[in-house]
Amino acid sequence: MEPDAAQNPSPVPPPISAYYQTRAEHHAVVSSDWLAHAAAAAAAFPPGADAADAAALPPPPSSPGAGGGVIEEFNFWRRKPEAAEAVAAIMALAAVIRSSRATTMMELEIELKKASDKLKSWDATSISLSAACDLFMRFVTRTSHLEHEKFDAAKSRLIERGEKFGEISLKARKTIAMLSQDFIYDGCTILVHGYSRVVLEVLKLAASNRKLFRVLCTEGRPDRTGLRMSNELAALGIPVKVLIDSAVAYSMDEVDMVFVGADGVVESGGIINMMGTYQIALVAYSMNKPVYVAAESYKFARLYPLDQKDMTPAHRPIDFGVPVPTGVEVETSARDYTPPQYLTLLLTDLGVLTPSVVSDELIQLYL
Amino acid sequence: MPDVQPLVSDFVLKLKRRKVEGSHAVARQTAELLRSVVSQHRMGSSANQAAALADAVRAVGEQLIAANPIELAVGNIVRRVLHIIKEEDISSTAVGIEGLSVTVDSDGEYDSEHDDRPALSAAVLAAHARNALRAPSLQTLLEDIPVSPAISRTASSTGDSDGKSKSAGDKSSTRKLKHDVIAAIGDLIDEIDSCYEPISEQAVELIHQNEVILTLGRSRTVKEFLYAAKEKKRSFRVFVAEGAPRYQGHVLAKELVEKGVQTTVITDSAVFAMISRVNMVIVGAHAIMANGGVIAPVGMNMVALAAQRHAVPFVVVAGSHKLCPLYPHNPEVLLNELKSPSDLLDFGEFSDCMNFSTQDGSPLLNVVNPTFDYVPPKLVSLFITDTGGHSPSYMYRLIAEYYSADDLVVRRKATS
Repeated sequence: MEPDAAQNPSPVPPPISAYYQTRAEHHAVVSSDWLAHAAAAAAAFPPGADAADAAALPPPPSSPGAGGGVIEEFNFWRRKPEAAEAVAAIMALAAVIRSSRATTMMELEIELKKASDKLKSWDATSISLSAACDLFMRFVTRTSHLEHEKFDAAKSRLIERGEKFGEISLKARKTIAMLSQDFIYDGCTILVHGYSRVVLEVLKLAASNRKLFRVLCTEGRPDRTGLRMSNELAALGIPVKVLIDSAVAYSMDEVDMVFVGADGVVESGGIINMMGTYQIALVAYSMNKPVYVAAESYKFARLYPLDQKDMTPAHRPIDFGVPVPTGVEVETSARDYTPPQYLTLLLTDLGVLTPSVVSDELIQLYL
Repeated sequence: MPDVQPLVSDFVLKLKRRKVEGSHAVARQTAELLRSVVSQHRMGSSANQAAALADAVRAVGEQLIAANPIELAVGNIVRRVLHIIKEEDISSTAVGIEGLSVTVDSDGEYDSEHDDRPALSAAVLAAHARNALRAPSLQTLLEDIPVSPAISRTASSTGDSDGKSKSAGDKSSTRKLKHDVIAAIGDLIDEIDSCYEPISEQAVELIHQNEVILTLGRSRTVKEFLYAAKEKKRSFRVFVAEGAPRYQGHVLAKELVEKGVQTTVITDSAVFAMISRVNMVIVGAHAIMANGGVIAPVGMNMVALAAQRHAVPFVVVAGSHKLCPLYPHNPEVLLNELKSPSDLLDFGEFSDCMNFSTQDGSPLLNVVNPTFDYVPPKLVSLFITDTGGHSPSYMYRLIAEYYSADDLVVRRKATS
């Protein structure tokens, strides 16, 4: 977002992660200055258009071009607040298949490969985007059902499965919410960090099952996603308390379990999630509190980060309220890596998993 | 099934009164009961025989689990049987459909559209059948082929020509299904009975010359394990913690001495004092949970902590019937049972303390006698099951092999 970048006091703003930009758009608390910017932007562009996009084309791609349309298509789906990033990616690839003029499976695969590479390089910071592209490519190249069909039938099946993915994603969230119910018991206190649709779904279902529990929400600086979360929870009638991010250790003794979502689950079984997850997991681990990760299985990514800096850095502007003195560096990274030994269980649509299962699933799929 | 109902209620009563205890005995008797349930089950004329059979098993299983939810082996065996039924059903339908598609292919030349359809759906179905048994995985995330349309399509394309022969073949196929299921349950019972052998075969590889082994209480699996090592001419010493309040350790010590194993009995509270001399801790378990945690006789967590403190390997030996596909949500409370205080205290001696007339009427002396401990997976070094040695994080894999994912909750479907 250009307006935000201008606000950022650091003289040379690093490239802003598109993934976190979308998240901020979908989940952040609408502040007064944001509204002002939005109004200004709306005057210049049709609603929904984003100034910072690499190619600011009109969003709904009614007939996307054969090659270049994938990113526009992706951006179109990405803007929908309910659609996960992975769904957008798969929808975009399904659109590539539909508009493809390939006549053999091989041609189609090459075309898809190009499109998915393009998509992945467009936003290297989004883990679920690359994981979803890989998953879909794997489905196209490997699926056993396609062998017995004619090309057209195979193509339409691929498109159909791709377009069903939105439903799969929603169903995955429902499954996770159901699986998690056993873990939430009456009278417990749950700490959540950031805004996660899956975690919200879990807590929503628990509340509608008349479970009595309390939620502590971290503030989730810098985009204050925790406030949005607490807002939604309070609307459901769940007792919520908001903490500043640095009050986690202070409050941990009253917490019974930690629930976090994940941007991506990596091969070690660790997770990559919003900045601050690692320290929460560390505090929880040292106080013997379970840390549960709610994540859909399509977020499993073939990455193996060895340390925090071992990923494509995803930057995000940080507003300190006051100008940062010149010559002072600002850590703008948006996410951190939580190693598997600090996680208790992963609640996924494949079932309740220990972190070591993740690599197993990935090996089954890709080897 | 009116004939098995007395058997079922008899067993339920036994479970409720805690007359059957120990996961081995419980597992065995559950399997036997379920075998008779299956054999007494009258195969109706309903379309889905396997589902009806599974429902019957589920109905009985629900009662048994409710009778003693602490004996996790009951649920394990019920789930195993349900899995067996599913497996046999899929293998029989896969064979059946292959047969059908062949007949259509041979006479289906007049209709080109129908020609490739059944062949395709047979292949799809076979692939799906393979998937149905497996737990959901990333691999199958995108490819969910609805099973019922595929079957109905096959049926409709073949229905007219094969209608009669199919109904004739139905009876024999259901009888075959039932027979196969009974045979498979028989195999399961054999497996439960002989689970000690494959476990104790691994003893020589784990117990080395002149080692010191520590164990707590009495477990038959541990006993057989140590016997097997002794028979292979290993000489080693065993410390047996007595396992208060039941003192089963005394029994084990006696049994070991009979076989010529050098044995030392210690009190439970001496575990920390002795652990520095120990090379390996080998214990039995009540149940192994899906995350690799262990439900074990009380006092085990302390032993595990002592072992961890001194970096002594903590090995759990258990047959596969103790593998439970559930996750321990609140194990200290939910998966425990409080026994009679008479194990701890003599009522006669302490009857004065039980005087209810003092103060506000509540007794001053309370006795709590829990049966089990939960040992978290990070304290366990190795599991020895009948399929070999596994690390705690691998247990989910074994569980995925033995149980199907949708049987985790044993509950009757709405229509029964």
